[in-house]
Amino acid sequence: MRRVVVTGLGAVSPFGSGVKAYWAGLAAGTCAIRPLTVIDAGGFRCRIAAEVPEVSSGSPRRSRADRLALGAAVEALDDAGLSAADRAEAALVTGAVGGGMLEAEAWYWARARGERPPGWAAALRAILPGSHAEALGHRLRLGGPRHTVVTACSSGAVALAEAADLVADGVVDVAVAGGVDAMTRMCFMGFNALKLLDPEPCRPFDRDRRGMSIGEGAAFVVVEAAERARARGARVHAELAGHGMTTDAFHVTAPEPEGEGMARAMRAALAAARVSPSAVGYVNAHGTATPQNDRIEARAIARVFGEGGPLVSSTKSMIGHTMAAAGALEAVATILALTQELIPPTATLVTPDSEVTFDCVPRVAREAAVECAISNSFGFGGQNVTLLFRRI
Amino acid sequence: MVDRKTVVVTGVGVVNAAVVGASPALGAWLAQPRAAARVAVGHGRPAARLPEATLAALIDPNEARRLSRVCQLTIAAARLAVAESGVDPGRGLGLVVGSELGDFTSTIAFADGFLARGAAGLSALLFPNTVMNTMAATTAIAVAARELSLTLNVPTVAGELAVARGAAAVAGGRVDAVLAGGVDELDPLVAEMLDALGDDAVRGEGATFLVLESEGAARARGATVLGRIDGAAWRSLPARPWGVGRRATSRAVDEARARAGGGAPGWIYASATGDAERDAWEARVLAAALGAVPPVASLGGLLGQHGGLGALRVAAAAWTARSGLLPAAAGGAHARVSGPGLVHGLARGGGHVALMVSAP
Repeated sequence: MRRVVVTGLGAVSPFGSGVKAYWAGLAAGTCAIRPLTVIDAGGFRCRIAAEVPEVSSGSPRRSRADRLALGAAVEALDDAGLSAADRAEAALVTGAVGGGMLEAEAWYWARARGERPPGWAAALRAILPGSHAEALGHRLRLGGPRHTVVTACSSGAVALAEAADLVADGVVDVAVAGGVDAMTRMCFMGFNALKLLDPEPCRPFDRDRRGMSIGEGAAFVVVEAAERARARGARVHAELAGHGMTTDAFHVTAPEPEGEGMARAMRAALAAARVSPSAVGYVNAHGTATPQNDRIEARAIARVFGEGGPLVSSTKSMIGHTMAAAGALEAVATILALTQELIPPTATLVTPDSEVTFDCVPRVAREAAVECAISNSFGFGGQNVTLLFRRI
Repeated sequence: MVDRKTVVVTGVGVVNAAVVGASPALGAWLAQPRAAARVAVGHGRPAARLPEATLAALIDPNEARRLSRVCQLTIAAARLAVAESGVDPGRGLGLVVGSELGDFTSTIAFADGFLARGAAGLSALLFPNTVMNTMAATTAIAVAARELSLTLNVPTVAGELAVARGAAAVAGGRVDAVLAGGVDELDPLVAEMLDALGDDAVRGEGATFLVLESEGAARARGATVLGRIDGAAWRSLPARPWGVGRRATSRAVDEARARAGGGAPGWIYASATGDAERDAWEARVLAAALGAVPPVASLGGLLGQHGGLGALRVAAAAWTARSGLLPAAAGGAHARVSGPGLVHGLARGGGHVALMVSAP
């Protein structure tokens, strides 16, 4: 197995376009969850979300999600300084769920009214999750292996794990990987139907938490073989030292109550990286702010690291749950926490839950130099992923 | 390149309009292949649909009440494959599901609920099915697959890609056994969409899954080996989303052959579906990769294109490697072939998959 490092970062988040804006928002503990404007929230108990303020990348003829993905992927490729020849051989792994559903919904809503709106063929072409990879691959001339993973809310993290495997196994030297999701009616309506949304900005790990807030965005990273990165003089942000992927096989929407599958994913990542639990100083938690998730995740973290172990925070307190983008955006946050020696806060945490036995970095970012950090992502279907990053 | 384990097929499960069963059922159909009966969907597009009674006979009524139809298809085929293999999921079983379309039927029903009754019409039970990994989630529970679980979404080659990705996980030593395959169902709105996008493939529906294991693990437990996946690779060719490209050179075939030891395939299962533009592109890609193209079979015209078909082609390739018989597309006499074969898939949008398959 070859060592895998991260040499490029790109993000389009509810703080705007670019990694710089993303990190500035996280470091300041700013909550970007506001009244929803992209879709009509009338009639719903929750009417807020974390939207990308201005989508500036790509042609307006593309889907909103494709444009988010393009913005993040272009930034990551530029950051890595890859040549056209590098790109022609690079793999592309995209985590996605909603695809171009926002535009397809508009088409379907109009169709239900008996209309046939313009641009409908383009909307249909972009409807499926796999369409982002086709758009990115074509636009950015990425000619290596390409695939799209759909593992619900862990899709973005799985994409990074998949890309790391391709590089570690020697299939490719370089891979571009990340996740994307735009706001969609289906997602917003669905989580409303499940009664999982807090009408106020979400409060992960808070005693009084009442559910999640939805967000949107995209993040992509460039991963490559460590030796190759060194040989070409690339700036290395961090090592993607290990990952673990497990399945609960328990329930379609509910996590296994003891967090056994989550704990297995964390242990698998530690084993793959050959790192002891004590070396991990920070956990970027899945931390959705649903009563069930946070309690079970905290239990799983305690099983692996012991009570009171690493610092734990949920950046969803600031950008909401960005669905398929979440795992990738949170991976970027985790890498930046290592390089900037600053742990982003759980910005909306006021009264810590007594069942959560960790320092969850309430409200304000914390200076801390840590050697290793993990990012947890869990999805519908009990799809658990842990990524472990090591400081270079 | 790291040391790689040899990957073998130890179980097959097929559920579609023409074949229902494990590898003997598939072998019987391949010995005398016949086109599945067609029905009209969407704006009259002919397609091969699985009779409801056939699916009902495979799924417990209690499960059928809880699960969407495409999840039922997935679980039925997955259970057939696991049963034939005899693999113990408790020793670690991964799952890779390929799908072109996911659970569109539930997605449409969920949207229709809102359009009819507003927020009060939204179904909390339907919503999880709008996420494409619903088939993997329910199947992981049904067969107790608790290792990595992936759902891969791509046009045309979802099944081949899932098998290739599952084989890579086994070859790389990340898991000893993987259940890999694909699934799709027919939906009238999907047929309408495909019409709009210029995809004139013959459509079908169904699921095919294979149990893939490291040869060492399979032999150690005394499993019957049905075939060997000697090399698998996937790449991409330039094409617009859902489009057909011009370039014909790709390294997927070369890489799959290199991993298999470099030999030329003696025969091919291609992904020809009746989609004229795409099929012509695939013919050019095969000619560029191989020069002299050996006998080619395609089952798309008989069974209809769906996410399970690529996995079915891999299972069929194992049968051809064992029997030396390659079915004729039109149902005529089989070609006599020998040696390893190539399973080849090329998607609208440029996804490209190649697997080299040989007899045990």
